[in-house]
Amino acid sequence: MKNIQFLLALWKANLQASMEFRAAFLTQVVFMILNNGAYFVFWILYFDKFNEVRGWTLNDMMLLFGIAACSWGVAAYFFGNFTMLAEIIVKGRLDYYLSLPKPALLHALASRSIGSGMGDIIYGVGSFILSGYLSPEGFARFIFCVFTGVCIFIAFLIIVQSLSFWLGNTTALSQIALSALLTFSLYPSALFNTATKFILLTLVPAALIGSVPAEFVRSFAWDGFLQITAGALILLGLAVTVFRSGLKRYESGSAIQVEV
Amino acid sequence: MKKYLAIAQMQIINNIAYPGDVLGRSVSIAVFLFIFAGLWRTTFIIAGTESINGLTFADMMWYLMMAETLELGRPRTNRVISEQVKNGEVAYILNKPYHFLLYHFWFGVGDSLMRVGTNIGVGVVVAWALAGPPPSLAGWGMALVTLVGAWVLHFCMMALIGLAAFLVEETNSFELIYQKAVFILGGMLLPLDMFPEWLQRIARLLPFPYMMYAPARLFVKPEPSLFWQMLAAQWMWVAVLVFVLALAYRGSERALTVNGG
Repeated sequence: MKNIQFLLALWKANLQASMEFRAAFLTQVVFMILNNGAYFVFWILYFDKFNEVRGWTLNDMMLLFGIAACSWGVAAYFFGNFTMLAEIIVKGRLDYYLSLPKPALLHALASRSIGSGMGDIIYGVGSFILSGYLSPEGFARFIFCVFTGVCIFIAFLIIVQSLSFWLGNTTALSQIALSALLTFSLYPSALFNTATKFILLTLVPAALIGSVPAEFVRSFAWDGFLQITAGALILLGLAVTVFRSGLKRYESGSAIQVEV
Repeated sequence: MKKYLAIAQMQIINNIAYPGDVLGRSVSIAVFLFIFAGLWRTTFIIAGTESINGLTFADMMWYLMMAETLELGRPRTNRVISEQVKNGEVAYILNKPYHFLLYHFWFGVGDSLMRVGTNIGVGVVVAWALAGPPPSLAGWGMALVTLVGAWVLHFCMMALIGLAAFLVEETNSFELIYQKAVFILGGMLLPLDMFPEWLQRIARLLPFPYMMYAPARLFVKPEPSLFWQMLAAQWMWVAVLVFVLALAYRGSERALTVNGG
């Protein structure tokens, strides 16, 4: 409970900081909505020519984009440092979080907010509504999938970036991993062979952010539910374990850091 | 001219200093080709045909390889200018004995050469593994010639966006929208041949297809008539954009406020 109150306080501070530069924040939001919409034009053109691909239609792609964009948006807006963890570790900036009586990982992740994430959230919800799968049960499943998607995005990146504790700077590796996760999550896994599908469910769990949740929102199925839930829980557990064991090897740079 | 070549050379050396980083960034092209191989292989199987709008599966893959190489290798001039405006470094560049835009042009050339080279290297290996041998030598020739014009067009657009930093400092949002215009209207994700007729007509009136579609399409279908047509249109757009860029630069110089340094 205390951690939730702490998170709410951090988010409030982040929002106040965004509002200091209101025009810049709103520009980021609007441009991200336009950016996502422009990218989706590809699928509109594709399905204009080919009506469906392995059971996936334009509406299904809208649903998939809705879930993936919303998950990314929530992670970016509320836990903006999840893409910067490697840099924080390498530059010794964890000192600041470790010296305070709050969970260091949670504090580090939520200390930054990426404004464009709000654009992704708005686009994601809009895309879900337009997909035609809006119903009370569908909405509940959508929210559940966004929640698990956020957990998977963040957990996967914590694991990859925690390698910095052992390997030094893994910023480039993290960017590649993030790019692969994000790109694969925007395509139906039905396009790939069995071996690739297995990789997309385990090593690069993109299917658990895009395809599987989209199928689950379309119609409830226990196997989909279990896959998403187990994926999110296992990855989160693994992320916390890897981060904690890496933390034992953390060496402070004794640098003077200013956290704004 | 010597000083500009030195700028390009300096940037090449900078990139060579971090070969792992450059190679690492080329992983993107492998991921991109792998995903699109899945999409188009499935599409061709479902359509039950060898070619769609004159393009086979192999054509599609090599088309996408060339298009993605260009996308990953295009200059990031707007980001450099934006950064220089924000940290005040622009003041040191403006008072040096070289032209601001030519400095960025040659800086971009040096930066792109290494990236285009590694992306073509990685792209050829992946595309060959996924779709078989590459197109003919004529395709390589026509693609390389139009690649030059395409790169210059990209530079002009990125520099125009970069000059906006003289007024608004942050230009990332403009770049995102420009990038998506090239993705769609430039034919990066889907060749123009697959567009509905009305959209093809609109796209051809804009500069975007000559930045992406022209080299990629000529690479897989090296038709001389199309080559000359594309080349003429491409350099007509280069002339237009260079003119606009020169005007914008004159205006931006007056609007610049340097905050740091």
